[in-house]
Amino acid sequence: MSRTAPDVARAAAQWLALLESGTAGERDHAGLQQWRDSHPQHEQAWQKAQLLRQRFAELPSSLAMASLDRPQPGRRAVLKRALGVAALVPAAWLLSRQLPLDVWRADLHTATGERKRVPLADGSALQLNTASAVDVNLAQRRLTLVDGEMALSVPGAAALTVHTRYGQVVASQAEVCVRQLAQACVVSVLKGQVQVHDGAGHSALVRGGQQIRLQASGLGVPVPFDALQLGWRDGVLTAQNQGLGDFLRELDRYRPGVLRWDPSLEALRVTGSFRLDDTDRILSLLATTHGLQVQWRTRYWVTLAPRKTLA
Amino acid sequence: MNDAVSPTTTAEPSLSTLYRDHRSWLESWLRRRLGNAWDAADLSQDTFLRVLASAQPVAQLQEPRAYLVTVGKRLLVNFHQRRSLEQAYLNALARLPDDCVPSPEQRWLLLETLQALDELLDGLLPVVRRAFLWSQLEGLGYREIAERLKVSERTVKRYMAQAYEHCLLVEL
Repeated sequence: MSRTAPDVARAAAQWLALLESGTAGERDHAGLQQWRDSHPQHEQAWQKAQLLRQRFAELPSSLAMASLDRPQPGRRAVLKRALGVAALVPAAWLLSRQLPLDVWRADLHTATGERKRVPLADGSALQLNTASAVDVNLAQRRLTLVDGEMALSVPGAAALTVHTRYGQVVASQAEVCVRQLAQACVVSVLKGQVQVHDGAGHSALVRGGQQIRLQASGLGVPVPFDALQLGWRDGVLTAQNQGLGDFLRELDRYRPGVLRWDPSLEALRVTGSFRLDDTDRILSLLATTHGLQVQWRTRYWVTLAPRKTLA
Repeated sequence: MNDAVSPTTTAEPSLSTLYRDHRSWLESWLRRRLGNAWDAADLSQDTFLRVLASAQPVAQLQEPRAYLVTVGKRLLVNFHQRRSLEQAYLNALARLPDDCVPSPEQRWLLLETLQALDELLDGLLPVVRRAFLWSQLEGLGYREIAERLKVSERTVKRYMAQAYEHCLLVEL
């Protein structure tokens, strides 16, 4: 009697579940033995099942549980995310991307390592840095920085307002960058001047070349900043005698996965301009210039160490 | 997506012409969805490998790009599954006390095993998957699982049979 694989799998599964339920009696055990003996395929399926159980049993349970029982977004959500923004936005927006026309209303986002430039319908231009999300509503002349970092250029006199977690930035005839950090928002003005309002009714005028922090406790004071910090708009990461630790923390924003480094590397200095579209190459360059060893566990798990400690 | 199905006519389609005509297009299609070039390059190679391995004769493809996108989408979904697993795994590792962290080799092997099992369990209902994991990884009995899930023990037994059947079907 030859049976199909699905039948055998089902029967084996039923036996296993019965056995594990703790309700199997002597007769069931005998029945199982008989089933296993009745066909080589049955015995083979039974052995496969035992191997399967063994594979699970050998895993460290807490690590395996945390990984395999992670919150599952569900297949549809995975598919949506896999297909990216394009799958979520209305057809009109797709059309405008292809033409490429301008945006009136959209929820934009970028993945880690991605950057995006989006022309807006009023002639303004929006750029999203890595892992960022911005909602655009031009009818209300309003942009909302949900996460990450954006640059906005408003050539016209009609103001656009950027809403952030800690207040608003009003820009007209100006160029400004807004970055959301964990506890604050940093507003850097490149050209023109912008008005920054906190949630408590205070505001400040920030001029080109100045930067201000906006946080729950209120507004900071405008201070000069180095425009090199905003090189991402041109796809470049620039360091001027920067601590390697700070540089790597910045670089990490652009890389999916985990980037780690030996604490002894923190204080090394970095100078140079690096293209952000190949961060692996930046790591290789650093390895050469600073005598580091780059260990690749996987592409998403990289450790930097001084070369000598690994020799 | 309109760009996915723009028809192209190719004389004598074969895998090499398919590759030559559509590889860079597919790569940029993938890059837009992945946000980086290296994963896109990998996945586009994988897509062509799948096409090569599939029973579908390349010469009979009416809409090669639509077909590539279909295969590519499936790979994208798998890719995101693997990434979300890896992220969960790394997070769990980071929370371990230092003296419990496995060696680099072990970590890597473990991740590979977890990825294989994750794929094996893919497609199970979430509640079935969880019941199965509690039983296999934490050694919970059916009664405890029933209590945790607030269902009957009979239901748990049914869940477990479903999970075993699902896994064995893949393995047999």
